[in-house]
Amino acid sequence: MAERTLAEQLGGPLPEGIEALPEDARRDLAAALRDARHRQAKALAQAGEDGLKYVPAILRGAVRKAVGL
Amino acid sequence: MNPEILKLARVLDVEPERLAYLADVDVADLQLFREQVTTTLFDANLVVLERMALASRLLPAPVIAKIAEKVFGPLLCARIAGLVDVSRGVDVAKRLPPKFLASVAAELDPRRATSIITRIPLDTVVAVAAELTRREDWITLGRFVGHLPDPTVRRSLAVLEDAALLRTAYVLDDKTRIDHVMGLLPEGRLPRLIRAAGADESLWEPALDVLANMGKARRETVFPLLDELPDELRGRAQAAIK
Repeated sequence: MAERTLAEQLGGPLPEGIEALPEDARRDLAAALRDARHRQAKALAQAGEDGLKYVPAILRGAVRKAVGL
Repeated sequence: MNPEILKLARVLDVEPERLAYLADVDVADLQLFREQVTTTLFDANLVVLERMALASRLLPAPVIAKIAEKVFGPLLCARIAGLVDVSRGVDVAKRLPPKFLASVAAELDPRRATSIITRIPLDTVVAVAAELTRREDWITLGRFVGHLPDPTVRRSLAVLEDAALLRTAYVLDDKTRIDHVMGLLPEGRLPRLIRAAGADESLWEPALDVLANMGKARRETVFPLLDELPDELRGRAQAAIK
């Protein structure tokens, strides 16, 4: 599947000055944004699991349910 | 380097040099683009973050503070800060060390957490400002100046040395705020800032930017102070505020 362009990731038109950049620069920005999103999603998934270790056992089930784990 | 490129690099977590191709892009377009990127990253995992914020209601504040520091880390805390109940968020923030809060502040979008930021105790904010100064993180300091109440800004400015204050003012998101911030300084501080700029060439651009963004009344008070500056800076300063 083709990777999403910068405008597709941002969900709207780019500011004029960004739109006017050479294609390789816009591709680089798209890659940087994609990487940042992946890092964030990965960190979040990991934190959800690891965080449960600090939750008192009696509340763990309710927290797991609320978070959707 | 252009402060807007530095700010965007921070949001994307990349080295600023990688974005050198943005050097000629209009500053307003860069600012708009950074806001788009920030919104995209904050909204990317919104459903999961909202669930986590909801789950945090089930836990006592000390447990949340421990999870925040040991597991979530600054980035995720910054993402979730705007989603938790304000009183709960403030209660948790009060239990976290200033060093950690400084790291959260660096990742936070102040627009999304204004209600929490403005209720954090003054001493804590000042301690965080001191930590950000130690890190020379002018961008984060500058982003918060627009979102803190005047008494807090006034106290925080007192912990910034002259060079730090000029560098922070230089990267303020909202330049129209510069004149207001200068108005919060105690008497005698503005002349000190101008003298500091005269003594350090790396402060010329920040100082000229501050002068150019001051209101008419303050410009008039500053004009006689320019006599003390080195010739080249004096000429540029006079042009900036004429």
